Amino acid sequence: MQTYRHLSGKLRYVVVLLFAIHYSLFTASAQSEGGLLAGIEAEKKINKEFSISLEGELRTRNDFKTMDRWKIGLDASYKVNNWLKANAGYSLLDYNNREKVEYYTSEKGNEKIKWRPSYWSVKHRFHASLTGSHKFMNGIKLSLRERWQYTYRPEKETERYKMKIKDQTMTLDDGYVRSGKGKNQLRSRFQIEYDRKRALFTPYASVELYNSWGIEKVRYTAGTDIRLGKQHSLGVYYRYQDIRNVDEDDYDPDMHYLGLGYKFKF
Amino acid sequence: MRKSFLYMILPALVLVFATSCEKDDTDFSQYKLTDGTDDDDDDDGDDPMTSASDTIYIAWNGAAVSVTGDNDGYVSVSGADVTVDTGEDADSLMLVLSGTTDDGSLLVNRSKKYTILLNGVSITNADGPAINNQCSKALYVVCADGSTNTLTDGTAYADRSYQQKGALFSEGQTYFSGAGTLNVYGNCKNAIACDDYITIEGDITINTVTSDTGSNGIKANDGMYINGGTLKIKVVSDGGRGIRCDSYVNITGGNTTITTSGDCVIEKNAEGVADTTSAAGIKCDSLFSMSGGSLTISSSGDGGKGIRCDQNVEFSGGTLVVKTTGDNDVSKPKGIKSDTGIIVSGGSFSVSVNKSWACDNGSESEVPSAQLTVLGTPVSSSIEKKKVVITY
Repeated sequence: MQTYRHLSGKLRYVVVLLFAIHYSLFTASAQSEGGLLAGIEAEKKINKEFSISLEGELRTRNDFKTMDRWKIGLDASYKVNNWLKANAGYSLLDYNNREKVEYYTSEKGNEKIKWRPSYWSVKHRFHASLTGSHKFMNGIKLSLRERWQYTYRPEKETERYKMKIKDQTMTLDDGYVRSGKGKNQLRSRFQIEYDRKRALFTPYASVELYNSWGIEKVRYTAGTDIRLGKQHSLGVYYRYQDIRNVDEDDYDPDMHYLGLGYKFKF
Repeated sequence: MRKSFLYMILPALVLVFATSCEKDDTDFSQYKLTDGTDDDDDDDGDDPMTSASDTIYIAWNGAAVSVTGDNDGYVSVSGADVTVDTGEDADSLMLVLSGTTDDGSLLVNRSKKYTILLNGVSITNADGPAINNQCSKALYVVCADGSTNTLTDGTAYADRSYQQKGALFSEGQTYFSGAGTLNVYGNCKNAIACDDYITIEGDITINTVTSDTGSNGIKANDGMYINGGTLKIKVVSDGGRGIRCDSYVNITGGNTTITTSGDCVIEKNAEGVADTTSAAGIKCDSLFSMSGGSLTISSSGDGGKGIRCDQNVEFSGGTLVVKTTGDNDVSKPKGIKSDTGIIVSGGSFSVSVNKSWACDNGSESEVPSAQLTVLGTPVSSSIEKKKVVITY
């Protein structure tokens, strides 16, 4: 009981810290935005090698003001040996696609805008990964994860408007269809963590590259897992996402994320 | 423990739900929504660029090519075969094509949208497409006012590492516009092929001829939108379609004339079972809708159909004339065949056949009026097995 009281006190500091990060992210530069990543995960260990997990996640953008994405995913994990783990899974993603605004001049010289407002659409994602890791005697653990993922977005009919700037009028462009498309990506993540048995905090830092015929984005993450007991753990992290070279359709500004997670092990 | 957990989760939830309900769209609320009918400038559709950071002029003269304006070294020439490779360059680009070659081509590799201005060009390529656009973004094909342009392919293509599906082939969505004429002769596959959708706008005239060694007039994967222009499609190949679309076909304007004369083709599939492919004016795997313009289809081959659609055929305006004169030795030369419904609610609708049914909506009924749905009150209506004429 005393332990939990002690823990509760520490967590109060963590909550205060989270709010501090939250409000500091509101002042992110104009070229980047702040967002929240909140996840919840349940894991069931089938046997010593095999486990499955179900995960839900939501993501915000626009300095925490706009919902960006919901995700629900199922993952199966197999421990090949002490240093190698294999994963495969499926995720259903529901995206709030960003608006698209194009300014142009028509053949007759009028200044115009083509505007596709933001809209929600689903994507299906499959992934498979291999993670190799090595833990040193002092608790430092290094790992490298190579993940292939395939994301498919089905065809979607969306609203689009053509607007005349001079007249301040807009016309609905009926039946605009965004075609379906699939995308393969290789994600490479290198992580270092300080992993001591039964420690309250397991701090870590990682860098992850998204590769699809070129580096599309890089994620830098630093955070800690917080062990609340045998079954419960929390995670808190900061992530900076550096967008390098993505399709017009997948555009995001650079993002500062505050991440929160809860994990339950059966 | 639970209390501690709440300390963490509750603020997070409050944080999320209290602050993440705003939209981040630009505020265009001061713009007034109109139906666009008073917009005399709105015939520009998905406007092609009329000026570009990079404008490159490519002029053919037989086996020779002259290139001007290529300040960044995008263009390479081999004989009269021209390759434009802009890599990831995002600067706007316009290619202006002119001149004549009997053995040349244009291949474009690019990652951003661009415009091809056809300014009196004639390209014949014996072993591949005359123009092959490998850019998956928008391509605007503009015929310069009053110009006549001709693209012709050969009867067999050389093997390449990239796709080549027609005399004019485009990977990305393709918008045709302008006030000139484009003639396209397809001798191997399709006359015009697009792995995305095709839109035809403005005053352009497009004539396509697909020979007996080719397949379809226009092949579009993700949609065919005819909003203007004059489109004449002639297909003589067996089993060939004037317009073959894996998705929607939507006609709101323009004058389209399609003639097919090919017979039905019998082929064995992978399981060795014989399957038939009939020629058709339009073959559409999704919704076919027409609300304006005119569409005239004539099919004269055995089993040649007018419109063959996997989903609804919805006709609400414009003038539609379909006539099939073929025999029914192998397949039935139906005027309009839909798997789900034929719905007529406006305009002038006329379908006639020599054999089989004028309209077939997939039902088993032997009653002609049960083969289509007529909405509203037509001025005149005559529904017979071989002839359906409805006028609003």
